[in-house]
Amino acid sequence: MNFIKKYKVILLILIPVVILVLTRALDTNHFRTDAKKLAEPSFSGSNIIIPDKVNQLNGEKLLIILGKDVIKHDLAGVVIKIIPPDSILYKENIRLIRKHDGPVILCSAENDLAIRIWMLLSQMGIENLYILSDDSEPEVLKYEFRPDTTVKPEL
Amino acid sequence: MNTREKLSIILLSIGIILALLPLTGSRSFTVKPQNLLSDALDEKSWVTVDQAARFVATEDSSVLLIDLRSSGEFNRFNIPGSVNIPYDRFIEIAPGIISGSGNMKFILYSNGDYDANNAYVIAKGLKLKNIYVMKGGLNEWFNTVMNSRFTGERISARENSLYENRKRAGTMFTEINSLPDSLKRKYYEAKHVAAKKLDGGCE
Repeated sequence: MNFIKKYKVILLILIPVVILVLTRALDTNHFRTDAKKLAEPSFSGSNIIIPDKVNQLNGEKLLIILGKDVIKHDLAGVVIKIIPPDSILYKENIRLIRKHDGPVILCSAENDLAIRIWMLLSQMGIENLYILSDDSEPEVLKYEFRPDTTVKPEL
Repeated sequence: MNTREKLSIILLSIGIILALLPLTGSRSFTVKPQNLLSDALDEKSWVTVDQAARFVATEDSSVLLIDLRSSGEFNRFNIPGSVNIPYDRFIEIAPGIISGSGNMKFILYSNGDYDANNAYVIAKGLKLKNIYVMKGGLNEWFNTVMNSRFTGERISARENSLYENRKRAGTMFTEINSLPDSLKRKYYEAKHVAAKKLDGGCE
């Protein structure tokens, strides 16, 4: 008691600060630091997986279908869970993803959605996360631009 | 409690706090995950290539297109009026260009949809406003705008407007990307002068 009385002022300042810092540090439902590092797999496209390569991933695979059932491929040995995109951050869903011991694969009818959810979850520190896509190189230009050498603009 | 004890406790407290806080100067997302999820699911965050073509054809100064491809790809050709921020440097460069730019709209594009959607979430996570994604990227631009053809006997007013818009934007794209870099700026200046004359300007 004497100790508390003696250091009352300092404890009054210190305890709330420590509680706030601890809450922030231990809360799993917030974004981690260093956005660039967390986004790194998206720079190289190493987070994209085509259906034929899913079985090459190590560990039990969890396939999360964002929205309607869009499975067109025969993915044997994969645990499938359908989660509406707007409820992906519900505690039970985040807990399921975090506790899963193995790769988690996101899949949606429109790839845009899986890409966006991938970035969001990755920034929350979730690793071993993939996007299921039919196209392993979605950033390849499928057309060729041919300059028009006859162009003579009036300058 | 003497001064030395007080100082020791304060330093110790600061030490604990610093040990718990991440010591990095890197950028991190500053929004709440639930808010970012709402942004990620926002249907209004996409613009079609036809909408982008209209901005290009009218040289709308309230819109800036951001090309996320590498600088090499950008220099070969790009959508007229766009600026280059390679996707892998987006986190460092974009906040400086986008933040504090008032009501200006920023449309992200790359070859496909992948980089633009990733960059969109990053931008929203960094609290940048008025960000959109050109759906389908340059692949869709080539498919819809550059390869626009009219085949048929009759055309509705709406189809005609779309076709004219695509034709104008497509012509600008080809003209400007066929010019050497030294002439591109002169091309834009000449177009502005011509537009002013048509509007009855004094130049």
